[in-house]
Amino acid sequence: MYLGLDVGGTHTDAVIIDKSGVIAHTKVATTHHNLLECINEAFKNVLTGIDPSHIKRVNLSTTLTTNAIIENKCEEVGIFVSGGPGINPAHYSIGNYYFIIDGQIDHRGTEITLLNLHQLEKALKKCRKKDIKVYTVVSKFSTRNPIHEQYIQQKLSDADFVSVGHTMSGNLNFPRRIATAYYNAAVWRLYNTFSYAIEESLKSLGVIAPVNILKADGGTIPLHVSRSIPVESILSGPAASVIGTMALCNITQDAVMLDIGGTSCDIALFADGAPLIEKDGIRLNTHNTLVRSLKTKSIGIGGDSAIKVDGTAVTAGPQRLGMSMAEGGQNPTIIDALNVIGTINFKNTARSQEGLSSLEKKSGIPAQTIAQQAITYALDIIYNEVMAMIDEVNSRPVYTIHEFLKGKVLQPKTIYLIGGPAKTLAFHITQRFGWNVKVPPYSQVANAIGAAVARTTVDIELFADTQRCRLLVPNLNVNIRIPQDYDVDNAIEDATNYMMQFLESIGVDERERQIEILQVYAFNMVDGFETTGKNIRVHCQVKPGILHQCRDILKI
Amino acid sequence: MQRYTEDMKAKSTLGVVFFPAFDWAIHPLHPEREERLLYTLDQLNEEGVFDIEGIYQYKPDIASYDDIMRTHFCFPDVSKVTTQSHLISAGGTIKAANLVMDHIVNKSFALVRPPGHHAMKVVHGARGFCNINIEAVMVEYIREHYPVKKIAIVDTDCHHGDGTQDIYWHDRDVLYISMHQDGRTLYPGTGAIHELGGPNALGTTINIPLPPNTSDEGFLMAMQRVVLPILKDFKPDIIINSAGQDNHYSDPITNMNFSALGYAQLTEMLNADIAVLEGGYSIQGALPYVNLGITLAMAGLDYSYVHEPDYSQKDLSQDKEITKYIKRLCDQVLKRYEECKKPSFKLMPGNYDVRKKEIYYDTDNIREMQLESIMVCDECRGVLKIETTSTVNPLCLGIEIPLNACDRCQKEGYRLLDHALSGDRYKYVQLIDRRNKKYVLY
Repeated sequence: MYLGLDVGGTHTDAVIIDKSGVIAHTKVATTHHNLLECINEAFKNVLTGIDPSHIKRVNLSTTLTTNAIIENKCEEVGIFVSGGPGINPAHYSIGNYYFIIDGQIDHRGTEITLLNLHQLEKALKKCRKKDIKVYTVVSKFSTRNPIHEQYIQQKLSDADFVSVGHTMSGNLNFPRRIATAYYNAAVWRLYNTFSYAIEESLKSLGVIAPVNILKADGGTIPLHVSRSIPVESILSGPAASVIGTMALCNITQDAVMLDIGGTSCDIALFADGAPLIEKDGIRLNTHNTLVRSLKTKSIGIGGDSAIKVDGTAVTAGPQRLGMSMAEGGQNPTIIDALNVIGTINFKNTARSQEGLSSLEKKSGIPAQTIAQQAITYALDIIYNEVMAMIDEVNSRPVYTIHEFLKGKVLQPKTIYLIGGPAKTLAFHITQRFGWNVKVPPYSQVANAIGAAVARTTVDIELFADTQRCRLLVPNLNVNIRIPQDYDVDNAIEDATNYMMQFLESIGVDERERQIEILQVYAFNMVDGFETTGKNIRVHCQVKPGILHQCRDILKI
Repeated sequence: MQRYTEDMKAKSTLGVVFFPAFDWAIHPLHPEREERLLYTLDQLNEEGVFDIEGIYQYKPDIASYDDIMRTHFCFPDVSKVTTQSHLISAGGTIKAANLVMDHIVNKSFALVRPPGHHAMKVVHGARGFCNINIEAVMVEYIREHYPVKKIAIVDTDCHHGDGTQDIYWHDRDVLYISMHQDGRTLYPGTGAIHELGGPNALGTTINIPLPPNTSDEGFLMAMQRVVLPILKDFKPDIIINSAGQDNHYSDPITNMNFSALGYAQLTEMLNADIAVLEGGYSIQGALPYVNLGITLAMAGLDYSYVHEPDYSQKDLSQDKEITKYIKRLCDQVLKRYEECKKPSFKLMPGNYDVRKKEIYYDTDNIREMQLESIMVCDECRGVLKIETTSTVNPLCLGIEIPLNACDRCQKEGYRLLDHALSGDRYKYVQLIDRRNKKYVLY
C-alpha cells in the first residue's frame, strides 16, 4: 500500500493505493497556521480501518516551505557571495545580511583572484554579533570550481547549517544559485522541526514505512535527504496533479493537462508521454531559483471565477468572490453559467438563473447570452494560454544544427482534464480545442494519487575538463582528478555510476534506478594550433514518473 | 527582504538570437569551430542574463534560397556554396530583424555563427571564414518586407568588412562604415580611406583604418569624431552593428588593444538597433566578457563591472603617437567624406562604369576574376552586371536590377539577360530583379 498526501491551498487530500486501486481517500480543510494539524487529521482519516504496517511508502507534498517564503517567515541568514567581475553582485542582494567578498573564478573554473579574507572576517564578525546561526555561501562559477565556497564553509564550522551554492544544482546561474541557497538556509530550521514532527506522528499511527517528500519536478526525495535541501520541497502542488494524471491515464503521446479548480486552472504539457520540465528552475516570490520543476502555468480561470459585465463586455475571473450561487454563493460564476445554458444540472439551478438574471437587469443583455459569453471568454483564455505555452516550448532555443533541423516539435491533440469542475467543462473544452478530451476517474484526488505514486528523481550535470584534469558533479559534491585521455564515453559511464551510487545510498529500489542521458556535449579545446583538451558535459536524470510497483498495481 | 530589482530591468528590451552551432566547424582546429561560443554561453548563463526582465532569448529562423539569391550571385548555385549552418546563421539575422521591425523588442543581437562580412556580392565559396554575408541578407530582407529606406551598417570587426563594402559599394541608401586594423597590417588588406563608394554612391562607404595597438581611447575617439557625425548627417532609419570582437587585446590573430568595457562603451554610443556577431577568436579571454558587455549596453544596463580576468594586470593605455595619428586620420576621413558631396567628374548617365577585380578566397583557396559594370544613373542605384570566372567555375554572369530601379535600368537589365541567354558565353546566369522580386538562376 502506498500513501500519498497533498497539502493544497484550500484542501488537504490523502489517498491509499493498493492492488485494487484507490482504497481510501479523504479531504480535509487545510489549517494554514499549523500544517501538522491537517496533515495528522488526513493521515488518521485515511488510515481508518487499514493496517498501518502494510503501508510501504509515504509520499508527502506540502506547502510548508512555499508559504514560509511567501509570507516571509524565514530565519535570518548570513549570506556570503563572491562574485568577481560581470554583473554587479549587489544587484542580487537578498536577506538582511548580504555580504560581497572579493574573489574571482572564471568560466573554466580557474581561480583568478583569491578571496578577500579581510572582508570575510569583517562580515563573519557582524553576523556573529547578530547571533546568526544559518548561512549561505555562493560564488560565481562555483559549479566549475567550488574552492571559494568550500573555504568559507570551513570558516563557518560553528554554524547550525550552511547552505552551499554548488550543492544546489549543477546548472550555471549565479543569481538563481544565490536565491536558491538563500531560501534553503532560510527555511532549514522550520523544515527540520516539521520533518521530525511528521516522523513522530506517523510512528504514533503505527506507520513504519519510509517517508518521501514531493518536489516541484514531480519526483520525490527521502525525508532524511531533504533535511539538507529543504528548498527542494517548494511548489510541489502542481507537480502532484501532473503525476496523478499520468497515474490515472496511460499517457504515451504529446498531451496537455488542465487541472481546473475553483479559482485557477493549471496547465502542464507532455511530450511523448513525459511531463515537460522547466529549463532552469522554478520562480518563487519574485526570485528565480534552480529548483527543478515541471513546466506548469497557473491562470486565473476556474469554476468559481466571478462573471463580470462591463458595458457589453462579459468577462470571468481572475477573482473568485466565493462559491457559485448554485452552491450558496453571492456572485454568479462559470458554474452558474453552465447551469443556465443547461450543460450541467448542478445543485440549485434556480439560484444560478437568479444570479444571471440580475446581471441581465443591470446590463440589458439576456442572461443566456451573458452565460454563453462568459463561458466563451473563459475558454478563450484557456485556449490562448495553452497555445502560447506550446508555442513557447517549440520556440525554445536550440544550440546545434541537428536539434534545429531534427528537433522534436510538440503537437498535442489530447487533453486530460482533472480537478473539481473538470467533467462539467469537458464538452465545451472539446468544442473549443477540437481535440480529444479525457476526464479520468478519481480526478478530484489526482493530486494525492500523484503524490502517492511518484518515484524518486535526481538530476546531475557532470562537467569534465581534461586540460585542467578536473571532473565535477556539483550537486553530488564530486570533485576529482581525471587523466588527460579521459573521453566522452568515460564521462557517460561515470555520470551513470555516480547517479547509481547516489540512488543506492539514499535507498532507492533497484527497479527505480533508471537513468536517462539528456544531453552530451564534448568540445575540443584548442589553443593556437593544438588541441589542449576536451570540455565534456553530461546531463542525466531519473525522469519524473510513476513508481514501477505502482505501475503494476494500477495496471498501466 | 530587499532587492534592487528595479536596476535590473532592461531600459531597452533586447532580443538575443543565440545560435552557437555546437556541431559545426570549418575544421576541428579552425578558429571557426564548435567551441567558439561555448564560454560565451557559460558566461551569459552564469550571469543569469536571460532572466533579466526585458532580455529574451530567441531561436533563429532559417534563411530561404530566395533570401540568399536576393542578396548574392551564387555560382554554380546556393546549395553548392552554403551549408545548413550558413542558412541558420543568416536566418538568425532575419529573426533579429523581425523582432525589431515588428516591435516585439526595441533592439536585437544576433549572436550567431558562422560570420559573414567577408562574403561579397558574388560567391564562389568561402573567404575569411564567410560564405554568406549575413548582415546583407538581413538588410535585403528588411528592405523587401518593411518600408525602410536608409540603413547604416557600422562594422567594428578588426578586419575590414570587404564583403559588405563590395555589396553596398554602389548603394547610396546603405551607409557602410568600417573601423578596422589598417589593411597594410592585416587581412584582407583593403579598407583604405580613399575607398568611398561607386559613382552612384560616393560617400556612402567610409573606412577608418586604425593603426595597430589602438586602445579604447582611439576607438571611442573615432566613434566620437567620425562615426557619430556621419551617422547624424546620413539620418538612417536603422543602424546595424557588425559586432566583430577581434579588436580585443587578447585576440590571437590581430594586434589591437580594445577591452570589453571599451566595446560596451562603443555599443552604448552607437545605439544600434540590431547587432550581429562577426569575428572574434579569443574565445575564452575576450568573447564571454565582450558579449556580456554588448548585451548589457544594448539593454541599457550597468556594464561598469564587466572586466576580463586579466584586465587589471594589463597596461592598455594608448601611445601618444598613436593618439596623434588617429586624430589626423579622423580629420582626413571627414574631409574626404565632405568632398564626396561636391560635384566631381563622373560618366554621363546611361554609360557603364567598369571595374576589374581579382578576388582570392583564402578559406577555400579559390581565385576569381571579375568584370563589374554599373550603369551610371541619376534616377536609381543603376543596373549592375558582373561577369565572373574562377578556379572552380567557368564564366558566369550576374545581373541585378536594383530596388526601386528606374524604367531604363529595368529595361536594360532584361536586355542584358536576353542577350546573355541567347548565346552560350556564360555557364550560369543569375538575375536579381528587385522591382519584381524575381531571383532566378538560368
